[in-house]
Amino acid sequence: MLLRPDPEDLRVISYYLGRVLLVMAGVAVLPLAWAVIGREWAPASSFLLTAGAFALVGVLVSMAPPRENRLGLGHGMVVVALAWLIAPALGSIPLALSGHFGSFLDAYFDAMSGLTASGSSLVNDVDHLAPSLNFWRHLLQFIGGQGIVLASVSVFAGGVGLSMFRGDGREDRILPSVASTARFIWLVSGLHLVFGVLLLGSVAYFGLGFTPARSLFHGLLTFFSSFVTGGFTVQSTSIGYYHSVFFEAATMVFMLAGAMSFSLHYALWRRRGRLQLLRDLETRTLAVTMAGTMVLLMLGLATLGLYRNVGSLARQGLFHIVSAHTSSGFTLVPSTEIAQWGGLAFVGVVTAMFLGGMASSAAGGLKALRVGLVAKVLKDQVKRVLLPDRAVVPSVYQQGGRRRLTQQAAQAALLVTLLFVGLCAVGTAVGMAYGYPLQQALFESVSAATNGGLSAGIYGPHMPVVLEVTYILQMWLGRLEFVAVFALFGFVVSGVRGR
Amino acid sequence: MTARRLLSILAIVASALLGMAPAAAAQTVGPFDSERVSVADLLADPEAYTAMEVEVWGELVGDFGRRDDGTVWTQLNGDAYAETPLLADGSLAGANLGIGVRIPAGLFPDLDRPGGYRVRGPLVVLQGMWRYHDPDRGGESYLDVTGVELLETSLALEEGVRWVPLGLGAGFLALAGLVAVRTRRRAG
Repeated sequence: MLLRPDPEDLRVISYYLGRVLLVMAGVAVLPLAWAVIGREWAPASSFLLTAGAFALVGVLVSMAPPRENRLGLGHGMVVVALAWLIAPALGSIPLALSGHFGSFLDAYFDAMSGLTASGSSLVNDVDHLAPSLNFWRHLLQFIGGQGIVLASVSVFAGGVGLSMFRGDGREDRILPSVASTARFIWLVSGLHLVFGVLLLGSVAYFGLGFTPARSLFHGLLTFFSSFVTGGFTVQSTSIGYYHSVFFEAATMVFMLAGAMSFSLHYALWRRRGRLQLLRDLETRTLAVTMAGTMVLLMLGLATLGLYRNVGSLARQGLFHIVSAHTSSGFTLVPSTEIAQWGGLAFVGVVTAMFLGGMASSAAGGLKALRVGLVAKVLKDQVKRVLLPDRAVVPSVYQQGGRRRLTQQAAQAALLVTLLFVGLCAVGTAVGMAYGYPLQQALFESVSAATNGGLSAGIYGPHMPVVLEVTYILQMWLGRLEFVAVFALFGFVVSGVRGR
Repeated sequence: MTARRLLSILAIVASALLGMAPAAAAQTVGPFDSERVSVADLLADPEAYTAMEVEVWGELVGDFGRRDDGTVWTQLNGDAYAETPLLADGSLAGANLGIGVRIPAGLFPDLDRPGGYRVRGPLVVLQGMWRYHDPDRGGESYLDVTGVELLETSLALEEGVRWVPLGLGAGFLALAGLVAVRTRRRAG
């Protein structure tokens, strides 16, 4: 029997949703200031409208505070799912008004892609986009990759934010409280930001000969995008624009840092248990799958005869696998070339995108811990079949210490894996229904569902509306890893049919 | 005897000149006689133009990266926005079509700024060799420029204030402030 939500449930949800939107209003002030300083008056007016819209909607929906401070798990999940739908809608206002998008839906696609740190884009003529608008696109990625909810938890929700934290796809509390964990994540990100902008800006200035201002601009925006494994870039030719192995290497460092769980960041930060972390199932799984998919890609590229020496193969293979596996979506070649990658190269990149980074990181995809658990379940099953009936197969694994693989954990990992496979299959089917070949449709669908961002050429301003909406939903579901979306669906159904 | 010798010498010189003619003709095929292609052609089938001398029209955008090795790297866009920028009533035509170009500093003309926001960059015709997956540069693809013809210098464009969003935004913020104050008073 479904229980109809009471008015207090609605008050709790709308109150915290409003808080998240108020945080976004504050975030929108940053590009407004940028535009005013840069005397970009047209974008400045759009950012004022965006900040105003976030503030007004935020204040209106949080007008009636809840009687008691009880943000349950279900409430938190619903807040997160709604926040990830409404924030892109309001965040797309300056994009839609910029004249660089064919429709509001295209702008919404870009904002959703930004907030989910996917990196796919439908922007027209990005090479002439206002710097403040480009900053906004990259800032959306940074805020989304870090978690807009995380920001809100840090500022408003305090100790009641655990449910929102979980809804945002973050399962582990590094510190005793959610608020202190959120602050630690922001601290780590802040330090990486300073280091990242200095490193990337220095390469741009000293190595590439850019002007100081442009070096800082490229450094800041590329850091935003790489540290949250986003994929938006300053210029239309992605990271290939820089023609620099040093810039690529620096970008890879931040992509890998972004794909690491914050538990790993914490261990490195505290200089404790580093060796233990190297033995963890998740770390080992990521290392194995990254190496495996890189071999596949390099063999595939070698078979296709696209590169004429080992150095070229290594550079291109390494960069694109790091980009795909961390679900970043940066490229060194145009999407028209990626579309030609058949055979093993295609298998390598698609598999890497599907597997993704670590749990509780900015990366998307299935996540290394789940991949490791599924592999462990399969291995144990095979052992049980092969060993005598009386044999006991211990189901244990290393993850922050020795853990027993419970049936519940195994089922959860298998279920999410199946859901991801199903989501990719649906997107592929819709793509094929519009006449795209299987390989291209599968590539784009996996990219959307895992927030990968790489494209084989379907993403574009002229793609069919239904396909565009499908990719938007895939990005949303993939980023929230289904649970929060199912909670929202359940909430709506119980509101209609419950007693 | 002298005349016969002279004739022989002339005949040898004439045949040598005739023999050298194709070679001389090949040498005069400078960059300006190279095959005219568009950026779209290069992106659509990059392998087809490998190591070929080509001539490409477009707009220089992004940055002029002056490197220590005496080259300038920038991006050449050959799309609809180079012809008619969006801010000059151009229409949406999809993503940019751009390639990387490497220009020797000695050939690089004195240009003030590349294309970007409110700037239509310099329009040029570049001649050079298309290096597809260059093994000497880790598999990069780019145009190795040997000749630059500047057609038009950069063009400044205007984009004014949008008054409706500005007014609405100010109104929304004022309204949000009012609602917040009233809510707080009621709660207090």
